[in-house]
Amino acid sequence: MKLFALPRADWFGPLAIVLFACAVITAFAPSFLSPFNIQILLLAASVNVVVAMSQMIIIAIGQMNLAIGAIGGLAAVSFAGLMQVWSFPPPLAALSALGLGAAAGLLNGALIARTGVSAFVITLASLSIFKGADLGITRAQPFYNIPASVKAFGNATMLGPIPWLALPAALVVAGMWRLLYRQKVGRFILAVGGNANAAELSGVSIERATLWAHGLSGFLAALAGIMLVGRLQLGQPSIGDDWLILSFAAPVIGGAVLSGGHVSVFGTLLGVVIVAIITQALVIFRIDPFFVQVVLGLLILWTVGVNRIREVRLSGVRA
Amino acid sequence: MTAALEVHGVHKSFPGVKALADVGLVLRPGAIHALLGENGAGKSTLIKIVTGVYQPDAGELRLDGRPVRFAGPRAAISAGIGAVHQERNLIPRFSVGENIGLERLGGGWLKGVDYAALHAEARKWLDVLELDLDPRTPVSELNVARRQLVEIAKALSLRTRVLLLDEPTASLTPQEADALFRLMRKLRDEGASLLFVSHKLEEVQQICDEVTVLRDGRNACASRPMAGVGRQDLVRLMIGRNEQIADFAPRSHADAPAQLELRGVSTALGHVGVDLTVRKGEIVGLYGLVGAGRTELAKCVLGLHRITAGEVLVEGKPRRIGSVAQAIHDCGIGYVSEDRKQEGLILAHSVLDNAGVTVWRKLARRLGLLRDAAVRAHVGPVIAELEVRTPSLAQTVGNLSGGNQQKVSVAKWLAAGVKILMVDEPTVGVDIKTKAYIHELLRRLAGDGAAILLITSDMPEMIALADRIVVMDGYRVTGEIANTRVYKPMSEAIMACIHRTAA
Repeated sequence: MKLFALPRADWFGPLAIVLFACAVITAFAPSFLSPFNIQILLLAASVNVVVAMSQMIIIAIGQMNLAIGAIGGLAAVSFAGLMQVWSFPPPLAALSALGLGAAAGLLNGALIARTGVSAFVITLASLSIFKGADLGITRAQPFYNIPASVKAFGNATMLGPIPWLALPAALVVAGMWRLLYRQKVGRFILAVGGNANAAELSGVSIERATLWAHGLSGFLAALAGIMLVGRLQLGQPSIGDDWLILSFAAPVIGGAVLSGGHVSVFGTLLGVVIVAIITQALVIFRIDPFFVQVVLGLLILWTVGVNRIREVRLSGVRA
Repeated sequence: MTAALEVHGVHKSFPGVKALADVGLVLRPGAIHALLGENGAGKSTLIKIVTGVYQPDAGELRLDGRPVRFAGPRAAISAGIGAVHQERNLIPRFSVGENIGLERLGGGWLKGVDYAALHAEARKWLDVLELDLDPRTPVSELNVARRQLVEIAKALSLRTRVLLLDEPTASLTPQEADALFRLMRKLRDEGASLLFVSHKLEEVQQICDEVTVLRDGRNACASRPMAGVGRQDLVRLMIGRNEQIADFAPRSHADAPAQLELRGVSTALGHVGVDLTVRKGEIVGLYGLVGAGRTELAKCVLGLHRITAGEVLVEGKPRRIGSVAQAIHDCGIGYVSEDRKQEGLILAHSVLDNAGVTVWRKLARRLGLLRDAAVRAHVGPVIAELEVRTPSLAQTVGNLSGGNQQKVSVAKWLAAGVKILMVDEPTVGVDIKTKAYIHELLRRLAGDGAAILLITSDMPEMIALADRIVVMDGYRVTGEIANTRVYKPMSEAIMACIHRTAA
């Protein structure tokens, strides 16, 4: 890659922000890069990156999935409930919860593809259904009896400051990269997002691409929910309630085009890291953590603005 | 030699409109065939039938002599009919090679896409076109001309035998167009069959071997050899109609005050030194072939595009119109778009909202409160006067017929009380009865004192309605003719004006 092309890569801006933020924060608070703090950062980022990928695959096809939090929550309580009530062994409970998440996603995808109703409306409705089922089954009470192995997986470190939770997250990132840049399914999802008409005329089935994207999205949302059960050490029905903003913020910060056809896996990963750093920095500087939301909102506006300028320039070349 | 593609006796109707009647066309291998016709002549319907988007009501398509039916665009493509449409059909962020090979990406469940093979395959097709382009380049980095060539390469890679090019030169520079023509000739010499759709007659004469002209959904000529056919003949075939012209008495408005006057107007879109006057009570026709710059001129007057030189006078006073709101509310200029579905109406809204949108600002009271009753009082009489056939003002405009939709789009300007009305292709896609009604309506509006600028490609309509006809070609005014309403000499005079620039 030519040197001057680097700043145009999607991950360049976010990476610069990450390095700059680390340098500045460390200068004021040297403890920021301590192993313990890094472990905290990684724990938060590991779950969030799976959440972000769950939305990113839907952004790639040019839609949105408002229900990822509800699917994640439903999968989380199913996972915990299966283990507590029916004494499922953790791996079997996890597989069932993942299957449930994928099925919920496929249901979204099927409704969107068959009815032609916008993903916004369909997932808004299914958000309500899945969340309602979650709260109805649990009566809003958490499952407390989580097996020790699951708790350990959610909190123990694997190597140095790297937690075990980072393993599934890393696999998801690698898998998504492979899927979107090297596999037919991923290319078709991006093709539909980039120009649905052209993709269809090239023999790409929009229906199948939509099903794949939503099935994967549901699967990843469920995975994030399961990871959170391990980390929180309880099957909390409110898992997923606060995912929505982050799930859009990270891909957008990473250079995704919300109208579809373009996402960056590494950009999204860096987006998640940026959000984690901001959260940590506010804690370190003793600023009320509620302001994270404000900063996140500003960051979304800023990156969307930058992307818009880039797009206008791009179309300017075309004219 | 058998023909590559034959179209025989094709009929196609849409609710209220007969789009094609007994249309035929024969494409030979090793020939470039031109398809010509003015707006509404049925070209796009025929293209959609050939590419499998529509199915004909009657008639048949034959490919290499065998009858075929296309269930959809995919079926046409796999049968070997490739099309390069006006809208680009590429995935912008994908590489050239991946776009060309999108239908056969290969790879399986776990096996990845083999980009090296994909790009090598694409390289072959780019070489056929002698296109010096790295297949790994993202399409978004290419200009329009190159994207078009990539689409042609993609079509060829699908073993296309019939290649349809829909106005491929519309956004190309002359050099790029020449390169495209060289390529088209090369493909022809290799035995391909090409269908070329263009509004630029010079190009058609330059590269086409045969020509089919459509007029009012019928063949004005079918698969005629281009040799010996001049530009004059093509224009006559495209616009020389023989239908009855409504008999309106000639009027003169020489003494009436000028409502709208353009003096030496040049625009950002490329108009040069346009002089034009529309007087009170007068209908001025603006005639020209598609692409002459008529609609564009109207949009510049409306403040959508910049006027770079010259003056616009409204009721004798020089005005600078910077926005559409200013044109409507300060200058009293309204524009009935040729594209009423995209630009004229909000189909999902009610008749009341559509007709009232122009007066909301005027009727809104303090705090921007808007009462339905006030709008209704304002809009109701206009709707009644135009005889819009609607069950109620609350009816959704999308459910009305084409003619009634057109009435609503006129009504909104009347409700706004505009004094100058620019009407663009008002009768495209409406049935004959509604057409006659719209003609009477425009005459009546002018009689009531409106100044009307009528843009139409329909020569009889122009000659029936206009008091004066201004002819445009290539973004310039090439002549002005007082309308005698005698069809033959008028149409010849108009054609002479169009040819003045071509000669």
